[in-house]
Amino acid sequence: MAEDRSFIYLNNAATSWPKPPEVLAAVSESLSLPVFGSGRTTASQGEDCVTKARDALSGLLGVKTPGHVVFTQNATDSLNVLIQGFLKRHAGTCHVLTTALDHNSVLRPLHEYERQGRIRLTVLPFEDGRVSPGAVAEAITPMTRLMVMTHASNVLGTVQDIQAIGEVLHDHGACFVVDGAQAAGHVPINLESLPVDAYAFTGHKALLGIAGTGGFAIKDPEAIAPVRFGGTGTDSFSLLHPTGMPERFEAGTHNYPGLAGLAAGVSFILSLGIKRIMEKAGRQTAYLIRELEKEPNITIYHGNPDLPIIAFNIRDLPNDDVGFILARRYKVIGRTGLHCAPLVHQAIDGGAGCVRLSHSWFTTDEECRIAAGAVREIAQNADRSVSSA
Amino acid sequence: MRIVRSVRHKVCADGSFMKEFLLDEPVPASFYSFLAHFGRVEALPQLGEGFFRFEKPDWFSIKGFAGDTTVEVRFKKEVMDLTMDFAYFLFSSFQDEKTDLSGLKQREEAVAGRVRRRLHGE
Repeated sequence: MAEDRSFIYLNNAATSWPKPPEVLAAVSESLSLPVFGSGRTTASQGEDCVTKARDALSGLLGVKTPGHVVFTQNATDSLNVLIQGFLKRHAGTCHVLTTALDHNSVLRPLHEYERQGRIRLTVLPFEDGRVSPGAVAEAITPMTRLMVMTHASNVLGTVQDIQAIGEVLHDHGACFVVDGAQAAGHVPINLESLPVDAYAFTGHKALLGIAGTGGFAIKDPEAIAPVRFGGTGTDSFSLLHPTGMPERFEAGTHNYPGLAGLAAGVSFILSLGIKRIMEKAGRQTAYLIRELEKEPNITIYHGNPDLPIIAFNIRDLPNDDVGFILARRYKVIGRTGLHCAPLVHQAIDGGAGCVRLSHSWFTTDEECRIAAGAVREIAQNADRSVSSA
Repeated sequence: MRIVRSVRHKVCADGSFMKEFLLDEPVPASFYSFLAHFGRVEALPQLGEGFFRFEKPDWFSIKGFAGDTTVEVRFKKEVMDLTMDFAYFLFSSFQDEKTDLSGLKQREEAVAGRVRRRLHGE
């Protein structure tokens, strides 16, 4: 089917679109063949897309042992496995840190455990889109065992200094779990050298795969207890779940078409090179921000984001209306509201939410020009007339 | 105007329930003037043929462009069962200047009592 380019898609921070043709071909090919999964079939033909995806992800994320890349449904699923597994492994109440930049994928599991009395939670504020390593150091107590935080804000597009923050945490013996849902595929990551204990990713955003794929990379599997048990296609005589990697954290049949697509998406990124992706994204982001800044009634919430994410509001016009007008009148698809990051919005816009435009490698300069023109035209015509009974 | 079908549903971030209605004819700007009898209408007339947003607090909101055949309606979930028929009725009874406002007002008053009781216990 031909790709529909009758609209301009700027909602890549939610789910990337379009996908590289290689991803669509890999998914389609995977669906056209019986599943080939080691230990689950007598078939010998076909590609082991799970291993291929593990190898691709370990290459992209700088993981030395591909077996330490675990697949789940998405980043939220990964974070649930990691947080739940960490608390299962560490008995008693402990102190956990997170940040106001974080997504509900982090905030909700942690607040649920706080509600249960399982943890004491400290949410660190941010300044200019970033949480400072100094603030982390100040918040650490002798009870602090874990910090879970985003690598990059899904609202402000700011990348966090996980190197410095990780060093602070490790100096105090705390575990560091990073949510890479936004950053993976956009910025260079070398987990081998970063002081990060586990890094969660999702397939359907900047890794250019399809929805329903994700996972995490983990340095020391023993630090996290498994929370899922079942068939693995290995060691089947044992009635206890295998403890080796990656089976320790994986149970049940994989999403083979999804992982075939994810492997192809990551290969596409590696073939382009992160540097090239960052350069194009940065140039287009700077252009969009420059254009929007020309309208005095537009508030841009971060003027220099690291990721291709532009968050803004038009004065006196609800963000939801701006999104509606952009979509209906100009065929520009973005996202409005809270973006599942309520604490960011409490800090930047009083909790009202904002419009977010997020482009991808496939966004053209012409599309950026049209989108910027559309936002500016709305801002220039934002004077409302009101009537009522 | 007739609602041909409801093309999309979702629960919004504010907890309201959104339905997108496909209409059998484009919405004239006069429809939104008509809606002002029942709530507050805000317009950005310079955008296309005009963007409109109708708010009836505690009931529902309607937004769309004049000249479009789709509108977005957001219902307050708690009273959606009470107000949905009235929303449909606003579309079906609209006949430009010939619309019978008195009948609609009576209907509005009857629903308003039930909404107040449900939401505020009055």
